[in-house]
Amino acid sequence: MTTFVVVGAGEAGGTAATTLRDEGFEGDIVLIGAEPMAPYERPPLSKEYLRGESDHVYVRQPEWYGEHAIQTRFDTRAERVNVADSVVELEHGDRIHYDQVVIATGSRNRRPPIPGLELSGVFDLRFAPDADAIREAARSGSKAVLVGMGFIGAEVAASLRQLGLDVTVVEVFETPLEHVVGPEIGGAIEALHRDHGVEMIFGDGAERFEGVGRFEALVTKAGRRIEGDFAVIGVGVEPVTEVAGDGVPVDNGIPVDATLRTAVENVWAIGDVARHDHPVFGQIRVEHFDNAMKMGEHVAKNLLGAGAVFDDAHWFWSDQYDANIQMAGFATEWDDMVVRGSIEDRSFSAFLLKDGQLLSTFSMNRKFDVRRSMPLIAAGLHPERDRLADPELDLRTLRPPKE
Amino acid sequence: MAEWVKVGSAGEVPDGEVTAFSAGDRQIAIANVDGDLHAFDDVCTHQQCSLAEGELDGTTIECPCHGSMFDVTSGEAIGGPAVDPVGVFEVKEEDGELRVLVDEE
Repeated sequence: MTTFVVVGAGEAGGTAATTLRDEGFEGDIVLIGAEPMAPYERPPLSKEYLRGESDHVYVRQPEWYGEHAIQTRFDTRAERVNVADSVVELEHGDRIHYDQVVIATGSRNRRPPIPGLELSGVFDLRFAPDADAIREAARSGSKAVLVGMGFIGAEVAASLRQLGLDVTVVEVFETPLEHVVGPEIGGAIEALHRDHGVEMIFGDGAERFEGVGRFEALVTKAGRRIEGDFAVIGVGVEPVTEVAGDGVPVDNGIPVDATLRTAVENVWAIGDVARHDHPVFGQIRVEHFDNAMKMGEHVAKNLLGAGAVFDDAHWFWSDQYDANIQMAGFATEWDDMVVRGSIEDRSFSAFLLKDGQLLSTFSMNRKFDVRRSMPLIAAGLHPERDRLADPELDLRTLRPPKE
Repeated sequence: MAEWVKVGSAGEVPDGEVTAFSAGDRQIAIANVDGDLHAFDDVCTHQQCSLAEGELDGTTIECPCHGSMFDVTSGEAIGGPAVDPVGVFEVKEEDGELRVLVDEE
């Protein structure tokens, strides 16, 4: 009997395992995850779940795995993929043989060496229990101090404001998300939060967390002292690669080719941990939900022999207050930005181009533009600026003709 | 007991479009695919967004919020984060009316 092992039971790993069964694979499937829970969606943890409006959203209901003969080893850490013996070595010494293995270990939150980070009442957010702890702190507290205003910081700020707390955020860049979307779009996000009463301090960072046994105040590099009932730090993530051991190459994640296979035969990697070779964007590593899910589906089909290139345009969303924010594509640098709609009115799309090629689309409250631009991004098109800027133009009309 | 309920006028949903209607307490989306009408619950099973605001491509409707995809002919979830299907209803145009067959609450 053929055995496929999936190491990591987040969105990517869970989707890989379930898709294998959906696609008719009848061999053994083992799904290993360090968390005690069956795979669940993380996006709600900073949004509906944090606000207590929704329960867990599972990839599949927990009983589904047993019903479909998927062996689950939750609450179990995989130590290493031993490629010489074709086994996954688990904590406590178990060894699981594989014919093919998928590494989907995801990422972990960055924990910079800031004094006081270990204080009670200083949180970060990645797993469901983290969200539970922040929600509990928000119930008894009235003032939160946030460090970092990337997507997690911005979403947590929005949720805590919606719960009625006072929120102060400290961010080293000059706008929220500046390193992702640039200062102009970042300014729109800043205005959104300002209108909702978030106090934001830019160009400053965390020097230390103070408190006797428990968080009392953040002291910034510029010397500000910001008191609060609790703090949340969200300053990015890094890939979890230890399981690769010395058998699978690691370089900013685990490099995989366009089919999601690593340099080692029978070893694949997906999700946040995978640095894949994308036909449009080149070597990229993506830390978003939709990519994790799509890679999970894709790798399952390739394990079964499809041999297909993963060429998804990449897409994610971020709900903040009543604003629907979406972004597609991937651009670390661009030389032109075309805006349709009004940044001031917070109903706009921004198209990021390099040498005329559309690399990425960001939208706030124009939810059709992002999805409709994805085929343009995936095809590597060079759309005319005037047409992108025309809010009445349906982007579907710019698509390449179907073959 | 199911009964036919008027939700709009015949011809109200043009080819290739999808529109939301109320049928009692229910929000129902009706899609027109090459002249054939398909009615389904206008509530995504993932995070309850309106599907009628989404994109119709052939017989696939894509949720505008988080990209879940459903087959409008069967209600089946065929992509994206949603797992559960949406309910589907019989729909017809008769006597100038757009009617949907719904269960009495």
